[in-house]
Amino acid sequence: MRLDASVFWTESNNATAGFPRTAFVKRDRRMPRPGIVPSSPRSATFAVLAGAVALGLALTGCTTATPDRSDEPAAGGTLTYASGDAEPTCLDPHVGGNYPQALVSSQFLESLVSLDTDGTIIPWLADSWSVSDDGLSWEFTLKDDVSFTDGTPLDAAAVQANIAHLQDPETGSSTGYLALAKVTGTEAVSDSVVRFTLAQPDSALLESLAQPWLAIESPTALTRSQDENCAAPVGTGPFIVDSWVKQNAITLMRNEDYTSPPADAEHAGPAYLESIVWRFIPDSASRYAALQAGEVDVIDNAQPDTISQAESSDTIVHLDAPRPGASNRIELNSGKAPFNDAAVREAFIRSANVDDAVASLFQGSAERSYSALSSVEPLGVSEPDLFDYDPDAAAELLDGAGWSQKDSDGYRVKDGVRLTVVFPVSTNQSIPAEQSLFEQIQATAKETGFDVQLTKLDLSSWYTALGSNAYDAVSAPYTKIGPDVLRILFHADGITPAPSGYFANHAQVNNPELDSLLTEADQTNDADQRASLYEDAQELILNGYYILPLYDQQNHFLLGSAVEGARALPTVSTPAFYDAWLNR
Amino acid sequence: MAEPLTIAARRGVRPRLRGLVRRIAGAVFVLWAVATVTFFAVRLIPGDPAEAILGGPGSQTSPEALAAVRAEYGLDQPLLVQYLQQLGRLATGDLGRSYALNMDVGPLVLSQLGGTLVLAVLSLAVAWLIALVLATWSTGRGRLAAQIGSGLEIVAAALPHFWLATTLIVVFSIWAGVLPPISTVDARGLVLPVVTLAIPLAGFLGQVMRESLTTALESPFVLSARARGESDRGVLWRHALRHAALPAISLSGWAFGSLISGAVVVETIFARPGLGRTLLNAVTVRDVPVVVGVVMVVALAYILMTIVTDLASALADPRPTEHGNGALS
Repeated sequence: MRLDASVFWTESNNATAGFPRTAFVKRDRRMPRPGIVPSSPRSATFAVLAGAVALGLALTGCTTATPDRSDEPAAGGTLTYASGDAEPTCLDPHVGGNYPQALVSSQFLESLVSLDTDGTIIPWLADSWSVSDDGLSWEFTLKDDVSFTDGTPLDAAAVQANIAHLQDPETGSSTGYLALAKVTGTEAVSDSVVRFTLAQPDSALLESLAQPWLAIESPTALTRSQDENCAAPVGTGPFIVDSWVKQNAITLMRNEDYTSPPADAEHAGPAYLESIVWRFIPDSASRYAALQAGEVDVIDNAQPDTISQAESSDTIVHLDAPRPGASNRIELNSGKAPFNDAAVREAFIRSANVDDAVASLFQGSAERSYSALSSVEPLGVSEPDLFDYDPDAAAELLDGAGWSQKDSDGYRVKDGVRLTVVFPVSTNQSIPAEQSLFEQIQATAKETGFDVQLTKLDLSSWYTALGSNAYDAVSAPYTKIGPDVLRILFHADGITPAPSGYFANHAQVNNPELDSLLTEADQTNDADQRASLYEDAQELILNGYYILPLYDQQNHFLLGSAVEGARALPTVSTPAFYDAWLNR
Repeated sequence: MAEPLTIAARRGVRPRLRGLVRRIAGAVFVLWAVATVTFFAVRLIPGDPAEAILGGPGSQTSPEALAAVRAEYGLDQPLLVQYLQQLGRLATGDLGRSYALNMDVGPLVLSQLGGTLVLAVLSLAVAWLIALVLATWSTGRGRLAAQIGSGLEIVAAALPHFWLATTLIVVFSIWAGVLPPISTVDARGLVLPVVTLAIPLAGFLGQVMRESLTTALESPFVLSARARGESDRGVLWRHALRHAALPAISLSGWAFGSLISGAVVVETIFARPGLGRTLLNAVTVRDVPVVVGVVMVVALAYILMTIVTDLASALADPRPTEHGNGALS
């Protein structure tokens, strides 16, 4: 078993690495993989499993590893991927633009630029780029001799067509549309050079373009009807959409003429795998069982219980790839009582025992965060001291804020009003372990006198609760590359609900000083100045007790023993199988 | 046949026609009620379907996109107008267009119907087989056998589908490694889902079967059959079983409905394409046309199944009718 860094793995036990107080640890997603130890004999596993069945369906691994296996990538074979995410309704991530689309479209569509594991922008479909001094004009030089899989060449006009497609209201793009908000026009300088014109400087433009929701598709294919394009988008990627049987599987075939791997890929030429079968297995236990039984090779959305079982298995490998953008956090609605009082916000945070609950519910698979940003964001600031569990301090803060009386149920009251925290929970976005975590927080906050009212809602009802300001606390994920996510989540502009009722500043932070920091950071092209502005902004956010950070947005993959060379793309942590091969 | 066919037919025409008209009217009423209740049940939950259409987890919807979606699907119309439009489409056989799946509901339901029907029919057959074997084995063998049979049936009937499914996966997929835990292109993937659905159903069927079998074996006609020199097994198979089958046949209509609801769980756990999974997905994203479409098709299947079981009961009923000495004699 080779141990060089060319195979990218993160063994799950890395997650217990130390966490310095203020410095930010960037988790390396390219750890070398230790050798595979042959597993115990089948009979022993049999006995263990007999007990496990009796005890109530604990799932444990049971495959005998073959000790002599090849080290050289072997071409061919079909990899079966089982996704626990919702089946996309459209495979073109320009339409809408959510994570389930990004997962699969990363296999057949590519972006202008990518990220390396340090968070540095690297070339992909664009070889190089330059920006004018005023930051209002960007020129991208495209890679030579790249064609879409329908034969259309990649040129400046193709990129223009994609930007136009994303900005066309008919497309119904959300994520890509917002990311291009400042782009007012495009121009073909030559066949291979395209110029973007901006209304204002945008320090996040490259990070935005690296996202899979802004991938470049064949302009010829884009002229088809939206239904046709949704069923089989055409890109430049290492795989091609061959068929999509709804509610069953998407079949992807190798692109034999592939020429455009990102700058950090391990090899050139076509992918090793001949095809990928992309299945949807919504039930977490079935997904893991299918992996154990060898029916599938890779699963996503691995839950804490299966991750901890996989760790004790010799044959299943855990790939921990937190998503970029915001950390998972509870946002406290500072726009109305009781959380319009900073002391009450701090009291709530101090009364919530998060550490113990995360440790027991996530079984070591999630590391506590003290930051507004994901740990993969290089500019993230972490402040563990601000989030200590301290019920005594919480009680003192509440006394000082006028919530000194308690009613017969033990909840704090002020002017006859109970200290109530309405907390709508989206069952689509919070995994079961997270929902249990909220219940633990509810229980520990009750000891201090908070009446936390958790309501589990489906996505649409949850949006409505947010839109009608009927919440005091909420947890909403937000995936985006780079610290610009702070502007979306904490700039006062994000308080005004759009006509749809959707807005992203759930904490309703309204701080002109913060707004100007975020706007300035968004418009500077000086890297050091940008970093320092975002640091100041995060200090304001964290010290204002607007959020209770929990952990990174969880994103765990489990890989069967045959899968080699798979990795998560450092952009939004979607799996990449271009370098992957099957060792069986 | 004791009487000439023509007389029997003539005598039966009017009541039968009236019965048929009443049946069809009843079926139409049931379908209308199902469509109405489903539409309002899904739509009266607070929330905007447009958000559900665009807003998968982690997506950020723009107001422009939402407005476009609302106009496209007629969601900007008053609810009553949407309801009447929906009814109008249903009346012409048009199930509408899915909010979430970018396709028409008719073809969608048709493409998923096969998987669920295969699952339901096979499960019903297997459940009948298990119930028959258990009931005939445990009847007329004394109290111990009856108690064992009855105990097994009660346990089987009480098993929840999700528990049974997970247990079968652990035992047969992970432990023994002989059957796949998810659907496959061959028939292997059908075994565990079918067994999951069949076992609890066999418990129900077996209970009623054994009870009526016991009653039948104590009836006078059994005594006369014995007096003619029939063996125990002969009495059981040739006479008593037909009586015993009647309640179980009637129950099969209900069973079919319960199998479809069981399919929601089983198709999700075993990752099988089918109506149950379609329904679950559609409810989650508030995809009203698909929910109504699936429920309508299931209601239709249920009505048809009830008619089939009524006919089967008439055929299997050994009691004399005015047309002759039992329909099959």
